[in-house]
Formats: sequence, structure tokens, C-alpha cells
Amino acid sequence: MPKRRDILAIVLIVLPWTLLITVWHQSAIAPLLAIRKGMQYDGIEGKKEAGGQVQDSKEYCASDKDIVEVVRTEYVYTRPPPWSDVLPTIHIITPTYSRPVQKAELTRLANTFLHVPNLHWILVEDSQRRTALVTRLLRDTGLNYTHLNVETPRNYKLRGDTRDPRIPRGTMQRNLALRWLRETFNANSSQPGIVYFADDDNTYSLELFEEMRSTRKVSVWPVAFVGGLRYESPKVNAAGKVYGWKTVFDPHRPFAIDMAGFAINLRLILFKPQAYFKLRGVKGGYQESSLLRELVTLNDLEPKAANCTKILVWHTRTEKPVLVNEGKKGFTDPNVEI
Amino acid sequence: MAARMKLKLKTVFVLYFMVSLMGLVYALMQLGQRCDCTEHDLPKERTISRLRGELHRLQEQMRKSEATKQPQKQPAKPSLPTIFVITPTYARLVQKAELTRLSQTLLHVPQLHWILVEDSPHKTPLVTDFLAKSGLSYTHLHTPTPKDRKLQEGDPSWLKPRGAEQRNEGLRWLREDRRAQQGADSQQGVVYFADDDNTYSLQLFEEMRNTQRVSVWPVGLVGGMRYERPVVEGGKVVRFHTGWRPSRPFPLDMAGFAVSLRLVLDNQDACFDGDAPMGFLESSFLQGLVTMDELEPKADNCSKVLVWHTRTEKPKMKREEALQAQGLGSDTAVEV
Repeated sequence: MPKRRDILAIVLIVLPWTLLITVWHQSAIAPLLAIRKGMQYDGIEGKKEAGGQVQDSKEYCASDKDIVEVVRTEYVYTRPPPWSDVLPTIHIITPTYSRPVQKAELTRLANTFLHVPNLHWILVEDSQRRTALVTRLLRDTGLNYTHLNVETPRNYKLRGDTRDPRIPRGTMQRNLALRWLRETFNANSSQPGIVYFADDDNTYSLELFEEMRSTRKVSVWPVAFVGGLRYESPKVNAAGKVYGWKTVFDPHRPFAIDMAGFAINLRLILFKPQAYFKLRGVKGGYQESSLLRELVTLNDLEPKAANCTKILVWHTRTEKPVLVNEGKKGFTDPNVEI
Repeated sequence: MAARMKLKLKTVFVLYFMVSLMGLVYALMQLGQRCDCTEHDLPKERTISRLRGELHRLQEQMRKSEATKQPQKQPAKPSLPTIFVITPTYARLVQKAELTRLSQTLLHVPQLHWILVEDSPHKTPLVTDFLAKSGLSYTHLHTPTPKDRKLQEGDPSWLKPRGAEQRNEGLRWLREDRRAQQGADSQQGVVYFADDDNTYSLQLFEEMRNTQRVSVWPVGLVGGMRYERPVVEGGKVVRFHTGWRPSRPFPLDMAGFAVSLRLVLDNQDACFDGDAPMGFLESSFLQGLVTMDELEPKADNCSKVLVWHTRTEKPKMKREEALQAQGLGSDTAVEV
């Protein structure tokens, strides 16, 4: 019976392939549906009630097929100011990475941001996956945020958890945020916005955010505690134009300014979609220049903070906590989040 | 016919085997690579999150309209007990930055009064101007630390207890001020000692507000450990989980407890002993006020960290000092 053998053979051939194809199809769909980047726009409400208020919040997570509804009752301690239709949005890009002081830094940064109207916080983790700590923290603040992540490749040559030293810290994360902005906002849309790079350990005064809101192209101001000085600042002439940099460390850089010392109008970011921070081959202190030189010239810079005479941002650094008493095995319960 | 059939089958099977082998090899090669699914995700995710946002907004609107329909018969909120935050501070480069970010946290807390005590023989213009612009309800005090108790340049931070005189001055003012006030409400409140470089979550202040005597909670990044905390069993503090000198009467950090105003006023002599040995500053104050079993555990039976003992690095000033030696230092009129 060749015929039966034929049929048997065909069945034996086709069956595993159909199984393989269905399994592969399933696994290809699942990561597409999984929410890897969370976007949450909380643009309404801003009433500050004494003692906080209880808020019912529904969260939607899409699994493979169903939309699961989770009802949570949150205690909201404070809310950001009401969203205004006239103020330009300030998009704050903050790279962050896991270390003992991370939660503390992000907490006090969030406490600062909660005072600023029309603020959108783009927090980019240096990690393979978005961590539960940051996810929870962002959700509990009530801020308008976007949570992204990209891992700086590790240096396989060095042992341990060291990142590639040729890539300055935070670069890939900032670039990812820029890319996200370019993909989310249409260059032709009239939604005004300002982009600011805020590291998670600096200190920002509330006045700074109002100063940067009127940025037309790129605005600059002094930053305290950088470059081994009390502060570094742009040099402003009588006509109100920037003509140089008041720094000791390499003042001849195209833009001798710290990451916290400038803000860019969103329109400019969208008009020049090729402008990113240079990843490799960047000399120390030239990171900021690698982006700014593609966007603007010295003449276009707008000095803020009373013609660059006031300090509105401090480049503070937090000490690494000494955890000697943890010992080798760890003294404290690792389940308690710090 | 059969032979041809067999041959055909054999080739088919061989083909099948080769293709699956290639597929396996390809899959194995893919294992090490990073998945570049990002291109596909974005539009779908954006739609999903946009819809989510819209849904949320519509729900909010619904809730709002429901709320306005109901009669506005809400009971009057009882007045909140005031939290008195006593912060000692001293002049150094990062002082203004520290006070700025601390004030940004405190501004969110309702019914809070900030008692800022400078370690200085007189009120400095920096702090005076800062407080005036802060928007907080405050009291500005000052008292200098006597020279023999003061840390000198180059001393490690743990050598001498800091801030004792300033905290005592805060307590003294508080007691005097409350004596002049009338009404039962004015005697209600909590006293918290907050250093200007720590990090506080907003939840912490709500936890401490209803302290009856002395409430306690864990503190992160202190005592050489991830956190220190009181150990709670049956709703009571039975011992303290700390890596350093656990035999102290109260082995907790200044940021780990709050005292009710009532207790502070009833014990007019309770204050910090500036001569206490290292780590005993908190105990010197709490010893006369409360016993361990009277402590009220907060922060979910002392299982959550709501305050961190962060410390700020001293900024490097090598270039500034070099410039100053040449007479080219930065403009001192610019306040940092």
C-alpha cells in the first residue's frame, strides 16, 4: 500500500510543521502585546486637599487576549498643579540606575517636580527591564510621566558589573528619550515644549523651570559646583548675547556647559532629528557639545537667570552610603525596599 | 513505483531534517542576541496607552459629575495637628541647595511649621532671604555651637555630635511660644527633628501626625546598613535592629522618631545632651520621656522605609581655590 504510506508520510511531515508554526506565531505575538513602555498622561485635577485624598484608580494591563481590570485605592498625598493649556510643557529627561540611594534621590526629585505645572517626566532606567521599584515610585507620585529603559552594554572585558567606560553614563538613556520624543510628537504640531536633562542627584530651584519655559531655541544659565568651581556660567555681553564660557576646565569647548545648564525647545529637537549625544569617542566634558553643536550656534543661545548672574541649579552629588555592617550575607531583610 | 515512492520519501525526510536542523541552529544563534522588537512595539503601545488615558479621563469626568449631583453635606474636617520640624543648619557650600530641596518637600505637607536654627552667632542673609521666599510657615532662630564642641576642618563627621545646641534652641522657642498660646488646639502637635541633608517622603509626615507620645519607624542608609529599624511584635517595639551598638537605650537615628508636642511641653527639661558619647544623642533626649514599650510603631509596623539618611558630597573646589589664590575667584556677590 503505497497510498497509505504516502498519506502517513505526508501527515508525519506536515504535523510537526503546523505545530511549530503555531507555537512560533504565538510567541511572536506575545512580546508585541506586552507593554514594555508605559505611557501615562494624568493631565487633570490639581486640587491640593489637606491631608491628601483617597482616589480610586483603575489600571489596565493587556495580556495576550483579555484586558484585565484592576481596581486600586490609592492614598494620594499631593497632586501636581492643574494642567494649563497655555504653558509650554517641560519634558524632563532623567537617566537613572539602581543603587542604594536611588529611591531616595527619585523621591526628593519627585517632590520638587510636583510643584511644577505642565511637567512631563521621562525617566529612563539603565537596566534590561523596567524595575518594580521605579514603576511603583512613578505611579505613586501622581506625576505625568513616561517610563523607559535601555541598558548600557557591559564591558565584558572587565569583570563584574562595570559598564562600557567608553560610553559616558546616561548617554544611551538620554538618546532613547530623545528618540521617544521624536516618535511621539509631530514636527508640525503646535504643542509647545521644552526639553531639559535633569540628573537624579542634582538640586533644582522652582524658579529654574519658569526661566526655561520661555526658551525659543536653546537657553543657558549658570550651574553651581561644576568644573571644580563654585559655579560655571556662560559669559554674557552687554547686548545680552553669550560670547564665551566662564570656566577653568577647557573653556574653549564649543559648549563649555554642564548637562543641567541648558534647555532646548522641543521644536528644535524635532526639526533636527539626527541630533543625538555622541556615544563613543567623546572627550571628558564634551558630551553636551556633541549634541548642542548640531542644534544651535553660540549666537543663538538665550541667557536666563538674570543674564546668567543667579544660581538656580546646583550640581550636588550624594555620598555613597557605607554599608559595612551589612557584612557578606546581608544583615537587613532584602525584601524591604530602600 | 514503490522504489520511486521510497526514494521520494527519503529525499523528503532528508529535506525535512536539514530544514529543521537549520532552523534549530538559527534559533540557537538568536538566543545570544538582543531582541530588537522596539520598532514594532511603539505604534501599538502608543494606541493602547492613549486609549487608556482617554478612558481614565472619561471616568474622571463621570466621577466629577456624580460628585456634583450629590448634596454637599460633607462633615467639616477636624483641624490637623501641626507638625513642628526642627532643622539645625550651618553655613557651607551646599547649604542653600540642601535647604532648597528640603523646603520643596516640606511645602507639600499641610499644617507644618518649620523651625530652622542656624549654627551661627547671628542670622545670615542667605537663610533669611531664603526663608522669606520659601512660602513656608517658619521660625528663624540661631545659636552658635561652643568652640570645643564644634567640628574642625578635617574632623570626621562622627567625631562630635552636631546640632544639639540648635535643636535645644528650637525646643526652647517652641516651649516658650506655646506657653503664650491659648486654646487646646495649640497644644496639639508633633515635633520632628529633620536634618537638612536627609530625604523625606511625603507619607512619613502623615504617619507621624497622630503621635500620642513617641512614634518610631525605620530609617534607610544609616548605621552602616541598608536600613535600621525597631522590631515590632504584637504591635509593640521589642528591640531594635541595628548593626551598631544595639545596647544603647534608644539605638535610633534622629530621623527615626517624632515626639508629641504634649510630651515636649510636659517635660520642660528634656533636651539633647551635647556632651553625650557618639550615638547617644537621641537617647539622651528620649530617655526621660518614654520607655521602649510605650513607643508607637509607624510605617506599617516598621516594615517600610519612608526616610533616608542621605549625605551630600562636599563639592570639589580645587580650581576655585587656585583661582582665589590668584585673586581671580568667582564673584562672591553671586550667592551659591
